[in-house]
Amino acid sequence: MTAPRVEISDIQDGFAKEGYICNAHIATAIFLARNLEKPILVEGPPGVGKTELAKATSEFLNLELIRLQCYEGLDEAKALYEWKYGKQLLYTQVLKEKLGDLMEGAQGLAASMDRLHEFDDTFFSEEFLEPRALLKSLWSENGSVLLIDEIDKSDDEFEAFLLELLSEYQITVPELGTIKAKSSPIVFLTSNNTREIGDALKRRCIHLYIPFPDADLETRIITARVPEVEEGLRKQLVSFVQNLRELELKKVPAVSETIDWARTLVLLHAKELDSDMVRNTLNVLLKFQDDIDNIDSDINALTTKARAAAE
Amino acid sequence: MSQVLSNFVRALRAQDVRVSISESVDAGRVAELVGFEDRQVLKDALSQVLAKTDDEKFAFNECFDQFFAFDQFKPPKPASNENEAASEQSQEDEGQAGEEGEEQDGEGGESEGSGQPSDSGSAPGSGGSGSDDREGAAEGGEASPDRDLTALLESGDDVELQAQLAAAGREVGADRIRLFTQRGLFTRRIMEAMGLEGLNETISQEQRSGTSAGEARADNLRELRETFRLEVRDYVERQLELYTANAGRQLREEVLSKINISNVDRRDFKLMQALVRKMAKRLLALNSRRKKRSRRGQLDVRRTIRQNIEYDGLMFDIAWKQTKVDRPKVVAICDVSGSVAQYATFLLMFLYSLTEVLPKVRAFAFSNQLGEVTDLFADKKIEEAIAEALSIHGGGSTDYGRAFEDFEAIALDDIDHRTTVLVLGDARSNFGDPRADILDKIHDRARRVLWLNPEGKTLWNTGDSEMKRLSPHCDRAVVCSSLNDLERIVSDILRTAV
Repeated sequence: MTAPRVEISDIQDGFAKEGYICNAHIATAIFLARNLEKPILVEGPPGVGKTELAKATSEFLNLELIRLQCYEGLDEAKALYEWKYGKQLLYTQVLKEKLGDLMEGAQGLAASMDRLHEFDDTFFSEEFLEPRALLKSLWSENGSVLLIDEIDKSDDEFEAFLLELLSEYQITVPELGTIKAKSSPIVFLTSNNTREIGDALKRRCIHLYIPFPDADLETRIITARVPEVEEGLRKQLVSFVQNLRELELKKVPAVSETIDWARTLVLLHAKELDSDMVRNTLNVLLKFQDDIDNIDSDINALTTKARAAAE
Repeated sequence: MSQVLSNFVRALRAQDVRVSISESVDAGRVAELVGFEDRQVLKDALSQVLAKTDDEKFAFNECFDQFFAFDQFKPPKPASNENEAASEQSQEDEGQAGEEGEEQDGEGGESEGSGQPSDSGSAPGSGGSGSDDREGAAEGGEASPDRDLTALLESGDDVELQAQLAAAGREVGADRIRLFTQRGLFTRRIMEAMGLEGLNETISQEQRSGTSAGEARADNLRELRETFRLEVRDYVERQLELYTANAGRQLREEVLSKINISNVDRRDFKLMQALVRKMAKRLLALNSRRKKRSRRGQLDVRRTIRQNIEYDGLMFDIAWKQTKVDRPKVVAICDVSGSVAQYATFLLMFLYSLTEVLPKVRAFAFSNQLGEVTDLFADKKIEEAIAEALSIHGGGSTDYGRAFEDFEAIALDDIDHRTTVLVLGDARSNFGDPRADILDKIHDRARRVLWLNPEGKTLWNTGDSEMKRLSPHCDRAVVCSSLNDLERIVSDILRTAV
């Protein structure tokens, strides 16, 4: 077995190739999840790349990504399986026609029933099962990456329903019995913390908290995602966003917004930040008019500060 | 190794991190997987399986740094060997102390020993061979583990010293330390386990030897002993800090939640606020589950018919009866005159910490005139808002009659069958008419009226207290003098049932 440190930095490098820049902390979580076969619960402010992490993992490990978006009212029929009702109806029709042939020559009820029992019953069988995300990931041959996105949006009942899947990698279909995973999927659960996740779920997961990245990491992310940005501008815009996060805002800009902003600036052929440019493009970073109005007076100071920091 | 981890888990629990059994099992697997070689990796990995909220992560980081303050377990196997060796040594020490005298001649050879006795029988001296060799002949007549300490101190091998210190600490059970006053005891025990006796003897022998070299060495050793004692004491204090950091606070919290609020010292307010927040969080966790049950097996005929009109009245889409527990609207009327103000503070703090389950709280404050203070809470921190509410409305002499008249004018119309009205006050109206008739009107309209009186029941109706006239118009009148009382009442409101 290679040393864990080496393996962790391998994961980091692999992610970097997929364009996902992360620190050792995040890579450690992936390492643990693979080795302990435990799901990862990823928390953090919106836009720090929680969903991206799952995508990057699936690309890095070359596994299929199966995504389940949670919402209020999501139930197992939509998440796990559904019977193919149409096909089942057809099946009964066909059965009815065949029934005459089958029963030919049978004397009395008991004999007919015996005949019927000989006929295999496929009404509730995997043929008529329409797999949804969760079942798909259990059925996949080579393992998969299962992303259960925004678990906090789902109901408590659904959360409880997930417990069996998460701890045993199996689910129970009442008509068929227990279905076990062919190979354990890597499970990501993401949460924006709109409500507290239950303890039972937390206990079964590795808990990864992704905060906003520091300036260094964010610069590397921008380098990887928007390589067209020149170095001077890149430093300036990252330091601007970092300073912005210190302020009292309704919604602080996330990494995805930094990337959008970098793209915007490239589009405008900006060479460096100036306050007019910032003012005109601020709506890419800030999504509330209140926030934009509030920092309007500070833009000059912030821009100068960002430029000084990039020196 | 598992000993180290389980101690660490215990230390975490002492810091209010909730670690379940299955999580500590996970921690064991993680430690096995990543090993103890790389501190950062271990820290990252453990934090992901043990600490699962923001606060817990913070506590975890502190605790990890403190707990693994030095590499007390770096070579896990030698450490455990050492542990055994140490205990065996001490047994041997007791058994053989008398006849150990003639061992001395072999000692020059022993001194280049590794410092980690792999075999308890030989128990060699530790790494620092230089000084040991020089002084080898002079010292004698001691059991070898004792000399161990002397040599160890003189060699100045800090790493080894720490490792042995940790081993001795484990041996005497330093992690069981509970009280501040036990520090001396544990310091002494650890030093003894590491061979203090031998060290003392060496010192007195050197002193007695009369040579100047001997005396100098004795002085030197005494000094070393003193530094060593400080180090051990440090170690013990660290253990104390680690395992009992919060014990004192937990005790105080327990007391504070039972004590009468008016007796709470001003300096404890911070803690009280934290406590209220904690209690509120607990209530929140209990009540934030969605209060809706559908599909309970009872057919909702009316809704089914209505829903199926579009299918020509064919009962196709069936509706089931649902029970829905709605969240109460709360109106709090608080007396904020001198004596009752503190209770009001904590009641309001409670109510406003629960905005997630009690989104509609309106607060009114009065001493003689009554005014609505809800807006204050909308855009200020709870503490500031309360302070401001008190300064605007507090201070006057209480007049319940006037206050109820004001309330009738401002807010009576807004009270409906879903509203819970809380009145917090001692009902001492300075012999004015308390206008019980208005309270009766409120009672008629509201879902229920609760009177919270900070005074004990025996004091009700004494002097100018008007409880006798007011309480008939309340669904319930209860004593509410401590945080525990408050918590009970608020949780009652949340449960809605009277």
